[in-house]
Amino acid sequence: MSARRIGVYICYCGGNISDYVDCEKVRNAIAGEEGVVVAKTTMFACSDASQQEIIEDIQQQKLDGMVVASCSPTLHLFTFRGVANRAGLNPYLYVQVNLREQCSWAHTDVPAQATEKAVHLVRAGIAKARLTESLDKIRIDTVPRALVVGGGIAGLRAALALSDLGISVFVAEKSEKVGGWVAEMGRMYPHERRGSDLIAKLVEEIGARENIKVFTHAELTAKSGSVGDFSVQLSVADQTIPLNVGTIVVTTGFGSYEPAPGEFGYGTEGVLTLPEFKRLLDESKGPLVYRGKPVNSIVYVYCVGSRGSSKKEKPNTYCSRYCCNAAMHASSVAHDLSPSLHQFHLFRDIRTYGKYELLYEEARSKGAVFLKFDEQQPPEVEKVDGHFRVQLKDQLTFGDEIQIESDLVVLVTGMEARADKSLNDVLKLPLGLDNFFKEIHPKLRPVETVIDGVFIAGAAQAPRNSAESVASALAATAKSAALLKKGYVELEPLVAVVDTEACTWCSECVCTCPYAAIEKVTAGSKEVAQINSALCKGCGCCVPACPKGALGVKGYTDRQIRAMIDAMGASHE
Amino acid sequence: MALVNPSFLQEVKASKEFNATACMNCGVCSAVCPLEIDLLPRKLFRYVLLGLEDKVLENTPVIYQCLLCKMCEANCTADVNIAENIRFLRSYIGRKLYKL
Repeated sequence: MSARRIGVYICYCGGNISDYVDCEKVRNAIAGEEGVVVAKTTMFACSDASQQEIIEDIQQQKLDGMVVASCSPTLHLFTFRGVANRAGLNPYLYVQVNLREQCSWAHTDVPAQATEKAVHLVRAGIAKARLTESLDKIRIDTVPRALVVGGGIAGLRAALALSDLGISVFVAEKSEKVGGWVAEMGRMYPHERRGSDLIAKLVEEIGARENIKVFTHAELTAKSGSVGDFSVQLSVADQTIPLNVGTIVVTTGFGSYEPAPGEFGYGTEGVLTLPEFKRLLDESKGPLVYRGKPVNSIVYVYCVGSRGSSKKEKPNTYCSRYCCNAAMHASSVAHDLSPSLHQFHLFRDIRTYGKYELLYEEARSKGAVFLKFDEQQPPEVEKVDGHFRVQLKDQLTFGDEIQIESDLVVLVTGMEARADKSLNDVLKLPLGLDNFFKEIHPKLRPVETVIDGVFIAGAAQAPRNSAESVASALAATAKSAALLKKGYVELEPLVAVVDTEACTWCSECVCTCPYAAIEKVTAGSKEVAQINSALCKGCGCCVPACPKGALGVKGYTDRQIRAMIDAMGASHE
Repeated sequence: MALVNPSFLQEVKASKEFNATACMNCGVCSAVCPLEIDLLPRKLFRYVLLGLEDKVLENTPVIYQCLLCKMCEANCTADVNIAENIRFLRSYIGRKLYKL
């Protein structure tokens, strides 16, 4: 007989479960299971009243195990762990069974079988609850310092914001000076301030802070430790500088798409990419002149290198998002320099989202003309007698073929992820399909990565303009500071453990770990594997790799899983 | 193949009367036209905006068909002065084609 005293609660979910699963039948089926002291049904297990009832049961019946058969753990695992905690029960003695997604919603057409499946699942949950152990969260004291990798506008702004919050900051910039792309820019949208001025102001402010140290010619070459307490190595010129930081903010920015030779005439004099055109505008004081010749008309071709339109082997399939706005703004700036300029914008779709619609409006009111081409029939650019002859079928003129003569062709090119992946070898951050750094969730956890304590911001994560980059840099700052100001972090204890008796350090497990959490240590007279429990996510990849069966994951032990399988398969007729 | 004519474009831009840049091609004007002129005005204005002078001159008879009743103008969602634009084009054609 099990000495455990387990409480089991079957939730109706207000009909979501009970409309298909006969909850009373489930309750009756499991009430006599070994160790079950309390077996109840409830309309909403998550309601305040039900939570209170569970707490009272735990205290009065001296329960040491708890099962709630309700919805997905994603929704309410933490709710019921909280209930256990408030009742004085270790939260890891709680087991959740998912009847809603796995029984009632999945089998709406066969209620009897849904009920039968529910009984099996609850029995498995009880079997696991009999073998649960009390676990404590892993506590790590944090170091009140942060490392910002990349000194562009996002990195600099993040450094300042962290400094404001009393956190010491190291900024590692790879090139010879900070400022990145923005430092090179003139008039920018939407604020019409000069990029070089913005950076100069940030640099001045940073210079006045004692708790910010900027390294140029610096690269991150090694990282060890875990959230709150990383040891990193910077290679600065010929020196190696070791640093101890609590968090790392990655703001390494973007690369610009370079068209293939011949792509819309690229490589011919007078065919410019968007950044090249922007530079021409920034250098011009009066009417536009290119290589000594006055510019009277410009053709812009949109979506070059974006949305699958590239002559390169692996075209970028995403919309680079910032380029429509940037091209509209450049068009307005060009008009201001040369009011008699004729400007033709050849687009696939215009995405001047949000208030940037005003840039579109402004460019249009300044006389820019917009022509829409089909992606299957892109415009053709050829150079004839020193001019460009651009031909396209304009969908807005009812498919008429139109020929435009122009002095310049501007290819509206998008942003790309940085080609240099050496930082990634050090940080092991996951990349998205588009090769930019990938966040955990684009809306709910937009600056966090799967590596705790490493945050991403700015255009290293996705194509963004400077304002959006700064906003995300500040979000990463807030997340960093929240972690560091508390002084410690608590991590889930559901991590891998090594049986040092069985382990023989064959190192089979090392390459299975996506988080580099397994290291070699000497225990007594032999070498064995050790899990850095702050890095381990409890994914379990290493467990089946061990030929000695020396690895396990807390909360999901082999014994527990076997017991669950046995309970699920057992016949109770 | 219609050619963009920069000098025509220049003239259109210099004029204070012609204001069709706001046209978004919705087609209300064509729908309400009592003469059921298919070309006028949204397609025509597109030709003007792009500087396709040949296309405009080709359509001279249609431009003179217009009654200037302003049904289109009253219904225009983008506040384009359609009738005034037609008069601008007639004046242009008069100068260009008939040397008036």
